[in-house]
Amino acid sequence: MDYIKLINSLVSKAKGFGADAAEIYLETGRNLSIQVQDGEIETIEEAYSAGVGFRVIVEGKMGFSHCNELTNDALEDTFKRAVAFAKLTTADPNNVLPDNKDITQVNGLYDAEIIKVSMEKKIKMAIDLEKLAMKDPRITKSSGASYGEGMGEVYIANTNGFLKVYKSTGCSIGVSVVAEKGEQKNTGGESCSRRYFADLKPLGEIAEKASRKAWELLDPVMIPTQKAAVIFDPDVAGSIFGGILAALNGERVLQGASFLKDYLDKPFASPLLTIVDDATRDRGMASAPFDGEGFPTCKQILVEQGVVKAFIYNTIVAKRAGKKSTGNASRGGFTSLPGVGTHNVIVRPGESTPAQIIKATNKGLLLKEVTGYGIDPVTGNFSGGATGFWIENGVIKHPVQGVTIAGNAFDIMKNIDMMGNDLDYNRGMAAPTFRVKEMQIGGK
Amino acid sequence: MSTNQYIVRDIPRRKFLELSVKGGLVLAASSPLLTQFLSSCSNGSASAAGLGIDKATIDKVIAKALEKGGDFADVYIENRASRQIVMEESKFKSGLYGISQGAGVRVISGNKTGYAYTEEITEANLLRAAEVASYVAKNGKKSTPVNVSDAKRLSFITVKHPLGDIDDAKRIEIMKRADQAAMDYDKRIKMAMINYYDEVRGRVIANSEGIYLQDELPMMFFIVQTMSDDGKARHMSRERLSRHMGFEMFDEFTPEMVAKRAAREAIAMLDAQDAPAGIMDVVMQNGWGGVLVHEAVGHPLEADNIAKKIGAFTGKVGQKVASDVFTMVDDGTIPNARGTINFDDEGTQTKRNVLIEKGVLKGYMSDILSAKQLGMERTGNGRRESYQYIPIPRMTNTFIDKGSSDPAEILSSTKKGIYVQSLSGGSVNPVTGVFNFTCREAYIIENGKKTVPIKGATLIGSCLQVISNIDAVGNDLDFGPGICGKGQNAEVDAGMPTVRIRGINVGGSRA
Repeated sequence: MDYIKLINSLVSKAKGFGADAAEIYLETGRNLSIQVQDGEIETIEEAYSAGVGFRVIVEGKMGFSHCNELTNDALEDTFKRAVAFAKLTTADPNNVLPDNKDITQVNGLYDAEIIKVSMEKKIKMAIDLEKLAMKDPRITKSSGASYGEGMGEVYIANTNGFLKVYKSTGCSIGVSVVAEKGEQKNTGGESCSRRYFADLKPLGEIAEKASRKAWELLDPVMIPTQKAAVIFDPDVAGSIFGGILAALNGERVLQGASFLKDYLDKPFASPLLTIVDDATRDRGMASAPFDGEGFPTCKQILVEQGVVKAFIYNTIVAKRAGKKSTGNASRGGFTSLPGVGTHNVIVRPGESTPAQIIKATNKGLLLKEVTGYGIDPVTGNFSGGATGFWIENGVIKHPVQGVTIAGNAFDIMKNIDMMGNDLDYNRGMAAPTFRVKEMQIGGK
Repeated sequence: MSTNQYIVRDIPRRKFLELSVKGGLVLAASSPLLTQFLSSCSNGSASAAGLGIDKATIDKVIAKALEKGGDFADVYIENRASRQIVMEESKFKSGLYGISQGAGVRVISGNKTGYAYTEEITEANLLRAAEVASYVAKNGKKSTPVNVSDAKRLSFITVKHPLGDIDDAKRIEIMKRADQAAMDYDKRIKMAMINYYDEVRGRVIANSEGIYLQDELPMMFFIVQTMSDDGKARHMSRERLSRHMGFEMFDEFTPEMVAKRAAREAIAMLDAQDAPAGIMDVVMQNGWGGVLVHEAVGHPLEADNIAKKIGAFTGKVGQKVASDVFTMVDDGTIPNARGTINFDDEGTQTKRNVLIEKGVLKGYMSDILSAKQLGMERTGNGRRESYQYIPIPRMTNTFIDKGSSDPAEILSSTKKGIYVQSLSGGSVNPVTGVFNFTCREAYIIENGKKTVPIKGATLIGSCLQVISNIDAVGNDLDFGPGICGKGQNAEVDAGMPTVRIRGINVGGSRA
């Protein structure tokens, strides 16, 4: 199907249907998912799909509709429903669509090779990965391994006169295993997601990490309730920085629902903390040439040496704040309106090796897993469940499970006193190991 | 891996936008089909799910699906029309209207499942999906499908005012009333966020055992969040209302009631102090707090992990796993409840399933595949988010059954601890049974009395330990609505009476 022709035709009819301004977001996709269990295929799922979302503005009022039938009649009918729905909403002079026609140059989003790899090879990779993760005698069971891939195209056009397109691919492979010892059970999982098939990590490396995560926390010892240093492994950085990023959302700031609302250009964290949002990184999983409403993306510093440097915006929120869009319109697909969100987030690495951080810790908890909601972006309150290792006099003593950690975002961030040099790009949130001087730990 | 953690989400507003209108991927439909679909959406009561695919065509598709081999095949056809309206800061921010349709073909061969779907529902595409799904059945044992014919199921969902007949102006009116009530509650309420969502999901389910079922499930979901700010502290509260029913939901529960409850929490929590850390006794108020057992016990009792022999309750049927006062039920037949579906998404009649009775494990929750693998009955728990997903064992309305204790007495007999009035949500690792929850509204208990509110603390523990430590169960069973995530979403209710749990680890920020 000629989507460009279809979109152009819809854009040209928008005014006739009663919209003062309109945006057409069309998305196509192909997905494959393979799950294996105990060396056998468990499920194979495959699908092709496409859908369109219409965002319209009628006398300053915004409406949205979507459908997954790409026939002319269905699309026109759906478009008209957005116009009708818009009339119910409240007019707002900030309801405008982007008009910037630029596209940021971003490389490595599409790998033409993924689809050429045979289904048999992909199945075998998942089976081999599971086998490798089961190799250690401490691993007793598998919770399955999986391979997944997707490719898609995004088309965004609006009545300000642009139509932008990009296509992208992604693939991932992962495994989860169980270690048992007597009555004890522990799970460990690891996965790797990449834009390019050839960039997937070696199976042995993924398997080893999943396996180690499962067995290394066996035989935990409970620790007393106390205040002590807490070291965050790169795997758990996301659990704490997610709430910080949410608090930098310009809409929350305007609504007064962010604990960072009064901190623009003011310090709230340790000078060791610098956070960058980079939509332009080569082959980055969250890289894109334009954001969820077609505004060109960029690389920007959000927090520099502990100081808030920027809040993030989409077009509407930026207009309300009297700012320019930062290219942070996020989109959950053609069924949703643009929100505000980050791309590839990187916490700038420091100078210490993880070993140096452990060695410098007199008494503390090395975190391997954190559960819970993370930092509350409204209040900055943080509380979570934690597992990891207990450190005494610079040496790992024993595993710890079933404890809690808690604090306030300001205290936690100000107390970051060591930043590692081991930045791990395998996570959506790339961060190095870092240490918080002191946090409340809840135990026995 | 995504299979690791099952969560019940707190549904932040923006997430809700993404989750609620899930649907959509596809190709194209012929116009007669389209016309039929759209007209059915507009009156909201159509059996649109049929979409012109007759039983003879379904027989052909199922035969194709089992051509290479396989034990079982089914066809699932779905359409969905949804409306969502978002109000923030007393303004109607956006209105979203969505339609989606799609059909999937599944083949089960031994322990293997193949699945493919199409969004352009034509015979040719269904046959192609059948071909793709049958990949897993190569070299599988062959079976002969039974031609499909109408099957009968009980219905637990009644509708007085079909959503398709409701003027959008009425939806707007409901939201305005909620906003007004929230803002009028107290000057310190700075903002209300009102999320209105409704949908009608039409389903056709047909399988190689010969069943053909068709129905339509209406659903309403109404969420009020309010933010308080007194210059020193802030709190974002939430109250939700959801039923599988028509617009009459608001006759029973007015928008003002929902809004006032949300506002009350927002104001009460302005005085919250730091929570203590460590192991302590917890009294949990009746209602949505049942999400604790949904996570801690419900997920580990879903039969898929049991069939893999990795679930925390594997091999424990008939054994004492909880205290005598503890009975837990999953009941997909509660009239019009959010977790109720007349038959599950594989066509199995939903039931009231007693999972744990007076501390003894009675059974698991199954779908067709796990029931076969475990040699157990089908319990009506095979559910799917949409045609884009295969059915898997899921909960419906899950709760701790009511006990005999007076809730006031449970509190007054607790010397020291935490009173949890509501939870945001939580997650569990179904293999180890280790769970966590975040408190939304909680108080310190001193000498049998609720005293100061405390900031949202996490509660953690393991499933077997927590149900053994429940030593008092009240007589005041109540429910609350949620979205349960297990790789795909399902609408559920969780419930419980007031209960006391001895010795849970509380994640506070002070000693």
